[in-house]
Amino acid sequence: MNTLAWWLIRAQFRTRRTATLLSMLAIALGVALGYAIHLINDAALADFGRAMKTVQGDPDAVVGARDSAGGVPVATINAIASDPAVLVVAPVIETRVRVNSVRTPVRLIGLDVFSAAAVMPWLLPRQDDRSTTGGILDGDVYASPSLLAKLGLQAGATVTLARGDREWLTKIAGDLPATGPDDLLLVADIAWVQERFGPNEAVGEGRVRLAPEVDLATWRTALQARLPPGLLVRAAEDDRTRVSNLSRAYRVNLNVLALVALLTGAFLVFATQLTAIAQRSTQFALLGVLGLSPRMRLLQVLLEGLAIGIPGAVVGLGLGYALAFAFTQILGGDLGGGYFSGSTPSIVPQPAPLLGFLALGCVASLAGALYPAYLNRVQPLAQALKTGFAQSRAAFSARSRWLLAALLALAAFVLAQMPPLFELPLAGYAAIALVLMIGVSSAPLFTRALFGWLAKRRLPAAQQIAIQNVAQAPLMAQVAASGLIISFALTASMVIMVASFRVAVDHWLDHVLPAPLYLRGKATPLPQELLDALAGTQTPFARIERSAQETLVIDPQRPSVALLVRELERDNPAARLPFTGPVVAPPADMPVVWISEPMHEIYRIAPGQTLRLPLRGHDVEVFVGGVWRDYSRQFGAVAIGRDDFVRLGGRFAPSELALWPLPGQERLASDWLAPWTDRYGLELADSLEIRQLSLSIFDKSFAVTYALEAAAMLIGLFGLAVTLAASVWLRARELATLGALGFDRRMLGRAVMVEGALIALVGLLIGLACGVAIGGILTHVINPQAFHWRMALTIPWPAVIAGALLTLAAAIVASRYAARQATRLPVARVLASAD
Amino acid sequence: MPNSSCPMLAVADLAKRYADVGRPLFSGIDFAVAAGEIVALVGESGIGKSTLLNCIAGLETADCGSVHIGPHALDMVRLDEAARAALRARNIGFVFQAFHVLPTLTVAQNIIVPLLLARVPSGEHATRTQALLERVGLAGFADRWPASLSGGELQRVAIARALVHRPALILADEPTGNLDPRTASDVLSLLLERVREQRAGALIVTHSQHVAQCCDRVLTLTANGLA
Ligand SMILES: Nc1ncnc2c1ncn2[C@@H]1O[C@H](COP(=O)(O)OP(=O)(O)OP(=O)(O)O)[C@@H](O)[C@H]1O
Ligand SMILES: [Mg+2]
Repeated sequence: MNTLAWWLIRAQFRTRRTATLLSMLAIALGVALGYAIHLINDAALADFGRAMKTVQGDPDAVVGARDSAGGVPVATINAIASDPAVLVVAPVIETRVRVNSVRTPVRLIGLDVFSAAAVMPWLLPRQDDRSTTGGILDGDVYASPSLLAKLGLQAGATVTLARGDREWLTKIAGDLPATGPDDLLLVADIAWVQERFGPNEAVGEGRVRLAPEVDLATWRTALQARLPPGLLVRAAEDDRTRVSNLSRAYRVNLNVLALVALLTGAFLVFATQLTAIAQRSTQFALLGVLGLSPRMRLLQVLLEGLAIGIPGAVVGLGLGYALAFAFTQILGGDLGGGYFSGSTPSIVPQPAPLLGFLALGCVASLAGALYPAYLNRVQPLAQALKTGFAQSRAAFSARSRWLLAALLALAAFVLAQMPPLFELPLAGYAAIALVLMIGVSSAPLFTRALFGWLAKRRLPAAQQIAIQNVAQAPLMAQVAASGLIISFALTASMVIMVASFRVAVDHWLDHVLPAPLYLRGKATPLPQELLDALAGTQTPFARIERSAQETLVIDPQRPSVALLVRELERDNPAARLPFTGPVVAPPADMPVVWISEPMHEIYRIAPGQTLRLPLRGHDVEVFVGGVWRDYSRQFGAVAIGRDDFVRLGGRFAPSELALWPLPGQERLASDWLAPWTDRYGLELADSLEIRQLSLSIFDKSFAVTYALEAAAMLIGLFGLAVTLAASVWLRARELATLGALGFDRRMLGRAVMVEGALIALVGLLIGLACGVAIGGILTHVINPQAFHWRMALTIPWPAVIAGALLTLAAAIVASRYAARQATRLPVARVLASAD
Repeated sequence: MPNSSCPMLAVADLAKRYADVGRPLFSGIDFAVAAGEIVALVGESGIGKSTLLNCIAGLETADCGSVHIGPHALDMVRLDEAARAALRARNIGFVFQAFHVLPTLTVAQNIIVPLLLARVPSGEHATRTQALLERVGLAGFADRWPASLSGGELQRVAIARALVHRPALILADEPTGNLDPRTASDVLSLLLERVREQRAGALIVTHSQHVAQCCDRVLTLTANGLA
């Protein structure tokens, strides 16, 4: 039995090389994408985790302030250290400095060597024979080897460290051998850092190592209760969750795209196997007559599917590895998503996912072969032997099909209204799947209606015959149309979603970049000297707005929220913030903040409510005045007016300026700023540049999507070509007979071509309708639920219609090819051959 | 010599009617074919000969009656689909008017198919195939592809395939219908010789007087049953 199965599989590969190879390739593509995404993400997370571990060590818990500008009082650290449950608490201060006026600031970590040895050994300086730890206590600074390499320095070099407008000359005493290649950092003694960068009576964090018998959860709850409200105890677990939350939605979205690629692969296997059993129906019937059991007739087709799936999946795994490798080299660990910047993680395949993706490829190809296998199983033997592939007449009536479509549409609508599950738009994805099902299940209705209507027209005889054929035996036409429906719907929906998003980002940029010029200090505050100079009267600027940014931890398991301190008017914030709804006036005695849309959705806070903000060691109650659109900070942002911020005890240290040069003095303005930017490594950009940069980042992050769209379209077209060719092949004898009866072959060829074009037209029209619906779901359900980005639906009709016309043209070429194949067969041979 | 004590095929009270045709195609069909006996089935076109053959082979379901096949006399009518396939694989050999040689397998592979289906140990495949190819005059054709064979040669391949697993019963539907008279008579005598040699029973549907004359017995299917 195995021999026969093997013979048939080999014969199948030999006689249908192109179709088989392309199905294999499609499966490979789906597996490759899924596997690559998995590998890249795994590597990026591992890399991120490793980098975090180098710097943070592996403490059991970390005590820190909720706001980035806050700190842990030294008294609190001392109190924790005297807790018998605590073995060690290592105080740390972290700040950013510029080294030798290189623009990008680096992290300077101040630590206490004795406690750091227990908690963060990776940050310890190299030990040499002469001086053990003397150097660091004497005020020496140590640099990671990668930072030394980047700056072109050696141990022993003297460098200037700058922050704001203050500078210090210091010596780099040695390196930090245990840091990784991506860690650009400096380490110094904590007292040394405190003395120069403050604050003196507080530290940034205390990293705690507990005694072995202590239960972390109990200890943590007890400590949290004793701590002032501005401080927070985090467990290592929280960090892991937060890191994984960081890119989760993006990752899931990419995985869904990979799944789509895999599904199209399954569809190709379906088209290939369906045509394969149709073409070999007499052969299978003969084998059945000779005694091949019905089960084996089913299994054979499944085995053939698997024979496509296994090599496809294996190739896909290799391809996925190569893709992952290439992409991490080019785009970094986040595929251009911008979550883990600056690292090139190494790809390490693990056995379990490898087998998992292999299985996925096999399952996809088996799923594709399932219906053809079933059809093959139920072919009536005697009849198939006599007249070939028997199409069972429509199993469903037109009415039940309409009903089914209506029910599915209703279900899709309901699913699209559902809230996210596990913070993921799972119901939205299900709704998309339903829309595709509606498209595919309604294809027979439309093909039958169109071809039935055409069959009644008075047309040239050859045309009439071709159309009659589709009206009578619509299976192949439906399969061909389905492929186009799915691929065009997915492509069109992506185009629609990306266009809507781009238009929205474009509008949004208009609103958030009101000034012609922007000056930034790259995570370090702007020098006071510059601010003073700008406050003088001799400047070429009509208007200057200052802003500062901090981060706040609202929930330790989520990425932190940005706190934007801006010069906003309490009663007219809409002048600067793009509000999505009404702005509520705050009570006179309360500080007011305006939250971003993601913040509004993640933490479920609405305008008119109050919010407790962790600021400078206190929980401050603030009024939420409105929700503004923000496409750049996916994890939430809170905007607060400078005056309110200062009143709440904040120190306003601007790190960014929006500048309006006096009319006609734009050149002068740039020249005026140039010495400052050079001296302090500041970044000056005009709004046009920022805008272009933002849009190019946007386009880069959708690069993967474009590649997938192209692949989907190609697969759909190929499915059309395969099914058309097969349907023509099945009618080879009929066509040859017509030729023998005196029909012009060219006319017959043209008739087949018109048939293909009409099928493609039906597929494209249904695909377009589904594409618009799916585009709507992507824009209004998936994007808000996964990324908290809301936007209006914009359909780029010219692009969509151009795409449809292009596909139609390609479909006509494909059917022309099929027609050629059919009419090229020698009449005599076709008529003589029985099979 | 026919041995009527052990029929290879025993049909009793067989009837068939198509749902969309009013009157039954045939009913009350009774006959037997003994080992080594060759029976011709004739009758006018459209009377139901092929349908009767299909009912015997279990390719179509009879409405009533029984069809006992082979040394174990299993009743085809009462078996399920899988068991019918297994019974065909072990006990029936087919020859068709349209040859039906699998175009994607070589001549030898085509002949091995029934051995695979009947689960004959693979050690015997080569010798049996080789021997039969010689018996049907196709020695040296083992590795040829069917597309390169003439009709007569194809039908010899089909005969070899029908006999290779030593079935109890050979069913042939107009085996010479597609061949010229000369080739037809060659192929027929070959078929008859091999069937007698293997002491199988054979039921041959034919329109040819010549074919009918060469058989041991002739049954005629009429609208009123067998005569
Ligand atoms: N699946 C079917 N459904 C309905 N009627 C059928 C079916 N198959 C065959 N028939 C009818 O049954 C009758 C007998 O057909 P069958 O093929 O058995 O005839 P036959 O005796 O073999 O004829 P021929 O000598 O021309 O081959 C015919 O009238 C045919 O139209
Ligand atoms: Mg017949």
